[in-house]
This record gives sequence, C-alpha cells and structure tokens, in this order.
Amino acid sequence: MPPRAKEAIIDCDIHQRFKSHKELYPYLSKAWQKDIDEFGLRLTTTGSGGFLNGGTGGFREDSYPADGTMAGSDLPLMREQLLDYYDIEYGILTGQDCSPVSTLPNADYANAIASAYNDWMIEHWIEPEPRLKGLALIALQNPNQAAKELERVLDHPGIVGALTQAGARFPYGQRFYDPIYEVLNDRGMPFVVHTGGEGSGWNGNPTPVGYPSYYIEARQSRAMSYQAHITSLIFEGAFDRFPNIQWVFIEGGYIWLPTFLWRLDSDWKGLRDQTPWVTRPPSEYVFERVRFTTQPMEQGEGPKSLLQIFEWGRAEKTLMFATDYPHWDFDSPEQALPRMPEELRRRIMSENAREVFKLPVRTTEALAAD
Amino acid sequence: MEQATTERASTRTREKHFVALLRDLPPGSRKIVSIQGRSIGVFNIDGQFYALKNSCPHQGAPLCAGRIKGTRVATKPFEYVYARENEIIKCPWHGWEFEISTGRSIFNPHRVRVQTYDVTVEAQEEPDPSIEMYPVTVEEGVVMVHV
Repeated sequence: MPPRAKEAIIDCDIHQRFKSHKELYPYLSKAWQKDIDEFGLRLTTTGSGGFLNGGTGGFREDSYPADGTMAGSDLPLMREQLLDYYDIEYGILTGQDCSPVSTLPNADYANAIASAYNDWMIEHWIEPEPRLKGLALIALQNPNQAAKELERVLDHPGIVGALTQAGARFPYGQRFYDPIYEVLNDRGMPFVVHTGGEGSGWNGNPTPVGYPSYYIEARQSRAMSYQAHITSLIFEGAFDRFPNIQWVFIEGGYIWLPTFLWRLDSDWKGLRDQTPWVTRPPSEYVFERVRFTTQPMEQGEGPKSLLQIFEWGRAEKTLMFATDYPHWDFDSPEQALPRMPEELRRRIMSENAREVFKLPVRTTEALAAD
Repeated sequence: MEQATTERASTRTREKHFVALLRDLPPGSRKIVSIQGRSIGVFNIDGQFYALKNSCPHQGAPLCAGRIKGTRVATKPFEYVYARENEIIKCPWHGWEFEISTGRSIFNPHRVRVQTYDVTVEAQEEPDPSIEMYPVTVEEGVVMVHV
C-alpha cells in the first residue's frame, strides 16, 4: 500500500523524457527535421558524454516502463511511482534529452530545439497533469534569441521559470546574459540551473584543473561550477541589477554553502573596494536570492551534523526538496532528510519552493476540480 | 544490525513459511513474498537458496528487485577485475551492493547489512489446498523460508 504523506511536498527536480526524439517533430520546421533525420539530435544526455553514470543506465532500475522505453518517458508510471505514491503537490520538470542545447555550435538550431522542447513539455506533460509545472529551457548561445523564447512561453500558466545547465562558456553573472535576465526580472521569475554540461561542447572544463577520469570525480565538480556562478552573480552586481529574480541551483549540493560563504564574507572585508557596488556581505545576497535543492542529500556524521549545516545555510529560506526521479540517485521524501523541527521541514519540503515558483496551495476544492 | 548472526543461529524458534514449489523457483529466479507484513525476497542462485529482507537499509528501496550480478572486486589502481558473478545484488535505486549469501554490504560488510533468513527445501507432506488443481509429487519439494 502506498504511503500517504501528511505534509505538502513540492519536488523541485523531476526528469521527464520522450520515447522518441520524433515527439519533437511537430514543433520543429522541416529544415531542422531533415538534419536530425540525417545526423541525429547531436545532444549528449549526460553532459560530458564520455563518463559513466550510476544505477541502470543512469536510472532507478524500477523506473523503466514495461514497454521497454526510456525511464521517465511514461506519465502513468511517473504518477504511480512518484506523484501518487508520495502524494506530491507539485513537481517541477527539468527534462533531460534536450538539456544540453547550450553546448550546440549552431545557435539557431539550439534555439529551435529549446523551443520545441518547451512546446512538447507543455503539451505532453504539463497540460495532461496539473501537478506538473515546467521550466522553459533556453539556449545560451544567443541571449537575445533566448529572451524571445522566454517571452513566447513564460505566459503559459504551467511555466514557472527558465532552465539551463551548469556548464557554461561564461559565469552567469556576466552582462552577456542580461537580455535573459531582463525578461525574467520583468516577470519576477526564477533562473534555474541544473547540474550538467560541464566540459561539453564549448563549455569550460568540468574542473579548474581539467578533465577527471571517472564519473564520481565529475560529480564533485558540481559544487565548483555552482560556486563559480554564485561568485559571479555577487561580484557582477546581478542581484542589484535584477532585483526580482531568484537563482536556483539544482543537484549541486548544499553542505558546502556555509563554509563557502564564510570565505567570501572574510575576503570581501579587505577586497570590497575592487567591486564597490557589492555593499553588503556576500552571504546576505545569497541567503536572500539564491536557492538550492536537497538531492542528493548527504548523510553526514549523523543528523545533528546536517542540522547544524542547515542552520548555518539558512535552510529555512534557502533549501528546497527534490527527488531527481527517475535518476538512480533518487531521494525518497520519507527517508532522505534527517529528522528536524516541523517548521523547518515544512519550509524545505514545500514552502520555499512555493514562494520561488509562486505555486498556490492546492486546496481540496482545487483538487476536486482537476 | 549486529544481531543478525545471533538471529540466524536461532532459526529453530522461527516459523517456516511456504514460498514456492521447488519447480516454480528454478535457478536464476526469485520470488518476493509477504510474510507477517514483511516483504522478503527468496532467490535460487545456481541451485542454492537465499532470502533477504526486501528493504535496503539506506532509504528503504525494494532491494530484492535489484539486479543479481558480479562486481569489480577490490584491486590495485588501474586493474579492473569483474568477478563473483551472481553473488551480489545491487539495490535498484542507489546501487548499494550486498552479498546475497550473507546480506553484508560490499562497501562496509561489518556495519551495513540487510537481514537474511534461512531457506530450506523440504518434501511436501500434504497437498496445499491452493494448488490442488495440480498433482504434486513428494519428490518435487517445497521451498520454505524461516521467519
């Protein structure tokens, strides 16, 4: 018998996939379809394509549909294993197959794929399932095109922010990205980064010292990528230039945050005059404007150690729950997090995400109307 | 966790529960049964029978639905040796590996383990009413788990 969660759960990282890339064709012009027929999508699903992954092909072994298609490609199975099983109030879709669009050499093709993905997500996932909300994928090659794509799709009520990968050509605070931020700032919507893409295509190396050999090493570069993006946002003044945006960093860890911010706050005291527009300790900007997701949650040295980090990281504001379904390192809503005070758990399991993504409480009346 | 050995030694105080007819659990197959509210996986690995609690000690995933496999055994740097085929079960969620015969994890056999149960194959004394449609001979045997 499935457990029934008594609490509201908003899952900030669900990977939905297509069964065939031809599901994108209704949203792509014939010109792009011809190239794909000839050469494929030219997207690697794991970011840095040569690394292994975990689990069964990167997924929970039990998440493959009975018809042999890809894990994450079947809405009824997603309902059974995740949305119904854990009584998820909302799930935020982060896709997978098209996520590396920003690594493609051709900016126009990249934008066309991002656009097709967004339409496919709306039609195949968001509209059939009101619990699912989507993030609009953007291709970063040409921020003006990305801004137009956001203007095209952000009005859909099921779209709750913009999505890109962690791997990048430049850190995300740089003015190159301003056209994207202007659209999001006007609408007060979040810029969401999901780990992946480091070292792919023209993106920078997965680590500052080059390419590692093994998947477990590549996973640890997530924190490095996120630290680089966050320092860029702080010292390029992005938080003041775009006061209505929150930045969300998915699946790159959380436990490093407090010590990273201590270092920044210490350095800032003596280096402040090099970036004089940063008028407050860096940690203050981050606590107000940056959010992180839980999965994959560390076990630490017992629950007390994690709760101490949650306190230092202001988890009551900054941390949001995620399962990463159907990936192999899925976190169970019931068992992944340590025991904690009820109010803190409520903030992490639902309320921080509800604020960032502006999600109304799904009341009994609303559920009956679905 | 540490009491598992003691519990295994005292199986004579446990009750036997029917799992399957021997012919219905051939080598390479498994059956997940529910006994007194506990989900238990019973395995026939090359003719040897084993039973494990169907719950990973990490996050409670259905461990016994995982892949039965070998593993890359501990080696010197840059040597890759795949061995122990069919001795290991890998959790279907996070990939934690356990030795099927002992329930001990590969990464920390002394501290992380899953409950095991004894399995016996016995001559069937009386026909089971639930299978009366099928004539059963004594020598076919039944697989019993001790819980």
